[in-house]
Amino acid sequence: MIPADNSAIVIEVKNLVKRYKGAKAPSVDDISFSVKKGEFFAFLGPNGAGKTTTISILTTTLGKTSGDVKIAGFDIDKQAQEIREKVGIIFQKPSLDRQLTAEENIRFHACLYGMCSYRPTFKLMPKAYRDKVIALAEVMGLSVDALFKPVRKLSGGMQRKLEIVRSLIHTPDVLFLDEPTQGLDAVSRRGLWAYINSIRNQFGTTIFLTTHYIDEAENADNVCIINNGKVIACSSPDELKKSLLKQELILDSQNRNALMSELSALNLSYTVAEHVIVPYTDSPQEIITQLKTKLSVLKIHEPLLEDAYIEFLNKTNNRTEA
Amino acid sequence: MGEQVLTRKKSRLLRELNTIIAVMARELTVFFKSPSTLVLLFVIPIFMMGLIGGNILGIAGGEGLGTFMLVGMLVNMLFMVTAMGMTSLVDDHETDFNQEILVSPVSRYSLVIGKILGATFGAIVSMIGTIIVGLVMGIVLPTGQLLLILALSPLMCFAGGAMAMILIGLIKNKKTANYAVMLLVMPQMFLSGAVIPINESNPVLLVLSRIMPMTYCIDLARTITSVETPLFNPIINFAAIGALTLICLVIGTFFFARSEKNK
Repeated sequence: MIPADNSAIVIEVKNLVKRYKGAKAPSVDDISFSVKKGEFFAFLGPNGAGKTTTISILTTTLGKTSGDVKIAGFDIDKQAQEIREKVGIIFQKPSLDRQLTAEENIRFHACLYGMCSYRPTFKLMPKAYRDKVIALAEVMGLSVDALFKPVRKLSGGMQRKLEIVRSLIHTPDVLFLDEPTQGLDAVSRRGLWAYINSIRNQFGTTIFLTTHYIDEAENADNVCIINNGKVIACSSPDELKKSLLKQELILDSQNRNALMSELSALNLSYTVAEHVIVPYTDSPQEIITQLKTKLSVLKIHEPLLEDAYIEFLNKTNNRTEA
Repeated sequence: MGEQVLTRKKSRLLRELNTIIAVMARELTVFFKSPSTLVLLFVIPIFMMGLIGGNILGIAGGEGLGTFMLVGMLVNMLFMVTAMGMTSLVDDHETDFNQEILVSPVSRYSLVIGKILGATFGAIVSMIGTIIVGLVMGIVLPTGQLLLILALSPLMCFAGGAMAMILIGLIKNKKTANYAVMLLVMPQMFLSGAVIPINESNPVLLVLSRIMPMTYCIDLARTITSVETPLFNPIINFAAIGALTLICLVIGTFFFARSEKNK
């Protein structure tokens, strides 16, 4: 895992509120969190939780109702232009010009970000631009042929890949990924993550991710869970899992009674279902080495972030209902 | 993979100019990919100059009215087609392309100016269509005068585009935007004196005509063609066009940036 720089906070959100015009309740309701430079930060939540609204505010495309937001030290109210210089975003909704070719969309983006002067054809563009477009297209599994087709003739998955290539053409300090892998095939998904890790390594890019594929957030430095506009948990994935879920050893033996007697003698609690389940806190090795009974089943159950995520949401929803 | 680095231009001014060029080039690229738009730009002059102009000429007649009307229609077409071209901003809103534009680190003015310049091209094409229809109707302007009007056409298109921005900046629906542009352009065509003289207008209409940039553009064009005694000195015309365009540009750009952000 790439370490985040503890010294610099690159995203600082304090008491952020967003209430859309005419809405009864705020979409984002007094949330606060911070993200360090180079951190991989995952912002998770169910549909309509307020993730995209938060990203839109942080990327300056949507106004907030109240609260303070600073990106790379710049205040969102007074220095929006400076913030736009620092950020990049892969939008949740497609935002391509369908009348242009894929490459024309990328070229337009590169020009808006001042990466190169506008030229009327791809061949006339600087070599650095052409090389980067081809390299990124390769990473995302977008063929060179597809680059020169009108966007409207590309499949949904290809358009998604194109959006990602476009967003990565300027290497931003903070990259917002709003459900980036939605609609992507497994190979492209893996390619995207390998590339994102490589730019984190090389440039210390801060990653702000929202996703419904919770496994993508397993490697995050920190995870924030939002539900109904409120942050309900914010910590590292390991701490989130530990706070809610038990690690378990799954054991069994031809002589199950002997195994259970041994566990009782060691003062270890267990439950019996299909196999014998022994919860543990520190190391499973200590338990295993003490057992004399010959084991026929030995598995370690590591809880997933997804389990913890669902547990957190259920807890909050139950509390709300109560 | 080894990351290839594209470095960002240092000069802010150069970046803004590059943005204007890129936005304008996008409009032109889309324009050339749509042959039906090109055909329509030649059809509109037939309707405007041939039918409306032809009818008025038939009723009123008189020496010099043909030239008077051709000059008015040329300016009217520049305004109308530029304003119609600006409705592509509403398309961009509907397809979410505005997200991509507005998250970029460039001035909103550069985006709007690029759009207007892109729309200007289509307007000049329709101006050529109007000249051809005029020729068919037997109305001829000397080449020198035509070239002078052509030289001033970007300024006139800019005035029309900036004025349209005030309405388009507030509208989020293509259908409404089309109606709004018609609502903006059609009254101007009559109030600014494009097809009929406004010297005898009632005081209310006269005041309205004075706050429309098209009035000054038409007066300037008629000064060039000496078709009628101008209402104002050319310096006043230039100053009024400049001031009104600037006011419209600032208000329109403000509405455009604000409406996307304030939901």
